[in-house]
Amino acid sequence: MEQFYKIVRFDYLQRTRSYAFLVTLAISLYAAYSFIPAPGSNYTTLRIGDYLGVQNSAWIGYVTAMMSSVFLTMIGFYLVNSNIKKDVDTGVGMIIATTSISNFHYLLAKAWSNFMVLLTITGIVFIMGVALFFARSHGYPFEIMQFILPYLFITVPTIFFIAALAVVAEVFLYRYTVIMNVGFFFFFIATSVLQTNVLPIFDLFGFAQVTAHMQDIVASQYHQKINTVSMGFVFDQKKAFHFFVFEGIRWSLSTVLVRISLILFGLVIVFISSKFFHRFDIKERYKVKKKTKSLESIPQARILNEIRLSALPAITPSYKIMPFIKTELLMLIRKGPRWLWVINLGGMIALIFAPIPAAHQIVLPILWFLQVGRLSDLATKEKTNRIHYFSYASYKPLTRLLPAQIVAGIVLLLVLAAPLLIRYLVEIQFLPVMSIIMGGAFIVLFAVAFGILSGGKKLFEILFFLFTYSNIELVPYADYFGGMNHGPRYTELIFGLIAFLAFVSFMLRKREMARV
Amino acid sequence: MDYSVTIENGILGLLGPNGAGKSTLMKIIATISQPTTGTIELDGHDILKDPDYIRKILGYLPQDFGVYANLNAYEFLEYIAAMKGVGGPNLRQRVEALLEGVNLTDSAKLPIGTYSGGMKQRIGIAQALLNDPKILIFDEPTVGLDPEERMRFRNLISDLAENCIIILSSHIVSDIETIADEVAIMKSGTLLTKGTQAEVIKQVQGKVFEIYLDNADLTDFKAKHMVVNTTRQKDTVWVRFISENPVKGSTEALALLEDAYLYLTHNKG
Repeated sequence: MEQFYKIVRFDYLQRTRSYAFLVTLAISLYAAYSFIPAPGSNYTTLRIGDYLGVQNSAWIGYVTAMMSSVFLTMIGFYLVNSNIKKDVDTGVGMIIATTSISNFHYLLAKAWSNFMVLLTITGIVFIMGVALFFARSHGYPFEIMQFILPYLFITVPTIFFIAALAVVAEVFLYRYTVIMNVGFFFFFIATSVLQTNVLPIFDLFGFAQVTAHMQDIVASQYHQKINTVSMGFVFDQKKAFHFFVFEGIRWSLSTVLVRISLILFGLVIVFISSKFFHRFDIKERYKVKKKTKSLESIPQARILNEIRLSALPAITPSYKIMPFIKTELLMLIRKGPRWLWVINLGGMIALIFAPIPAAHQIVLPILWFLQVGRLSDLATKEKTNRIHYFSYASYKPLTRLLPAQIVAGIVLLLVLAAPLLIRYLVEIQFLPVMSIIMGGAFIVLFAVAFGILSGGKKLFEILFFLFTYSNIELVPYADYFGGMNHGPRYTELIFGLIAFLAFVSFMLRKREMARV
Repeated sequence: MDYSVTIENGILGLLGPNGAGKSTLMKIIATISQPTTGTIELDGHDILKDPDYIRKILGYLPQDFGVYANLNAYEFLEYIAAMKGVGGPNLRQRVEALLEGVNLTDSAKLPIGTYSGGMKQRIGIAQALLNDPKILIFDEPTVGLDPEERMRFRNLISDLAENCIIILSSHIVSDIETIADEVAIMKSGTLLTKGTQAEVIKQVQGKVFEIYLDNADLTDFKAKHMVVNTTRQKDTVWVRFISENPVKGSTEALALLEDAYLYLTHNKG
C-alpha cells in the first residue's frame, strides 16, 4: 500500500511540476470561463431548442460540470496517456520491474495518478464555476450542493474512467502511439454520437438524465416538447432565447449506481490489462528488413580500424538547406506504422472524390490530424533523442535546421492535401488554395512553437485535437485552413498568425539554445 | 568555474570526480552552453561572440548523446555532415571510409535503433571526424567500448593529436594516463592543477607507500590513511596508500597519475 501511495504521489508531483501543466491549467481556466457564455454572446454551450436556463447555482454548477466532463474526456486522455511510457523512457520502469509491486497495483497507481491530474483540472474549473456564479447570477442564492453534486456524479466518474482507459491503452498500444491518439479521436466522436441516443450504458459523459430533466421542465413551463439538445460550443446568429428555471436533479440511487459502475468498469479494465502488461520486458521495436543482414549476423564486438584523417576523402564547405529538408522529410515519412500510409492514401482518394466542401471541411482536417504523431515532435525530437548536442553545436543551427524542419512539415501536409489543391486549381479558385497552404504552415508552426515552449509534444497534441474536433463541429474560430470560406480578410489574419508563430518559434529556439 | 587554461595542439586529459564541471567546460568550449562570465578564445577569436568560427572545425563527442533511431548510419552521418556545413562530391566516400574505420560497414544500412551501446558510441566517434576537425572534444569517449576497442580508440586519438587540439575527459585514469600530453584535474568547478603528467605526478612524489597488513587491521588503517588500492591475500592484505609521512613497515612506491588525482581531489578544493 505504501508503494502504491508513493508511486501515485511522486508521479503526480513530477507531472504537475512542469511548465506544460501550467499552460494546460491556464487553458483549462479559459475554457472554464467560456463554459458559461456572458449575456449577449454569439454562442451557447447548452440549450434545449431555443431555451436556456437562468444563470442560477444549479444551471452554472451543472453546465460547468457537464462541460468539464466532455472537455476532460476530450483533452484528458491526451494529457495523461504517456504515464507508463515515461517510466520506459527514463529507465525507472526497469527498477520498478524488479520490485515486489504487482502489475495490477502498479497500473492502478498509474491510473490513480492520471485521475489526480485530471481532478486538479476539474478543481480549477469548479472554482471558476463558483466565481462565474458570483459574477453573473443576479439575485439567485448560492447553493454549494448544486455545484458539488454534479461534479461528484457527472465529472468525477468520467475522468476516472478516462484515467483508467489511458493506462489500458498504454498497456495494449505502447508500440503504436499513433493508433492510440487517432483511435481515441474516433472513440470520442463515436461516444458523442452515442450520447445522443440517451442510452445510459453509452452515457460516458454522465448527463443524459440532466438534459432529459431540462427537456421536461421546458415542456411543463412552455408546453412544448423539445427534442433538440445542443451541447458544446454552438455559434450562430443572436437569437431571442426563452429562459427556464433549472433547480438541479434528484440523484436517485439507480443513477448514482450507474455512475459508480463506470468507476468499477475502469477498475475492471485496468485489472484485465494487468494480465497483459509487459512489465518493461520490451522487445526490440525496430524490425530489420528481410533482405538486409540481420543484426544477429553481424559481429558486434568488432574493433575500430585505423582511421587517418589525412587519408579520408576531402570534403568541401556546404551550407545548403536541402540535405536537412531531405532527412527531415525522410524521418517524417518513416515515423509511425506503415499502414498509416494506407489510411493516408485513403484520405487522399477521399479528397479527390468527396464533394469539395466536405473534402475541405471534414476530410482534410482529419487527414492532417492523422499526422499528429509526426508533427508533434518536429522541433522537440532533438532534445528527446539527445541529438541537440550535435545540432546546437552545428553551423548556424537557427537559420538552417529549424527552417528545414518547418519546410519539411509543410511539404508533408501539402503533399497530403495535393488532390484537393489540384481540384481547386482546376476550378481556378486561388483563395482556397492559399488558405490550405497557409493552414499547413500554421499548424506546422503551431507544433514547432508549442513544442519548444512546452518542451514536449503533449500540449500540441491536445490543442491539435481540439482544433480538429472544433473544425468537424464547424466552430468558425478554429478554422485555420479556410474550410468555411471566410474571405480574404481571414486569410490575412491567418498570415499574421503564421508570422507571429514563426517569430515566436525562432525566439524560443534561440533562447533554448542559449540555456542548454 | 573560475580559472584560465591555455590549450595547444596535443591531448589534454580532463580528470575530476562527478560534478567537477568537466562536461560543463566541454559544452562551453563546444558552444552548446554559455558561461555566466569569462571568455573563450580560439586563435584570438572570441568564440562566445562568434560560435560559428569554432563550429566549422569542431568535432564533439558528447557523453550522453542520442541518435535518430529510424535513420541508418549513412543517413545519420550525412545529416550530421549537413549540420556541420560540409558536403561536396566526396562526402559519401568519406562517410563510407569513416564507417569502415569504426567497423560499422556491415550494419550501416540497418536503423541505428537496432545498434548496441558500443555500436552507437562508434557512430558518435565517426560523426566527430566528419568535418576534418582541428579541435576534438571527447566527453567520456570510452563508455560502452570493450577493452580492445578502448585500446584502439586510444591509438586513434594519439594519431589524431598530431594536427589537432584534443580535449578528453574520462573517469578512467588509465585512459588519460596512456595518451594525454597534459592533464588538468578539476573539482567542484575549480581547476586544481594543470601540467604535463610528470608535473602533476611530481606533486605526490614521495607520498605514495605500500604495506602488508593483517586483514583485521585494514578497517582501522583505512580510517587513518588515504588508501588507493588493496589486494587481499590469504591472511594479509597488500595496501597502497598516500601519506605525508611513511608508516612503520611501509615502503615508498613509484607515484602514478591515479595517486596524484586522488591526492589532489581529496586534499584541495
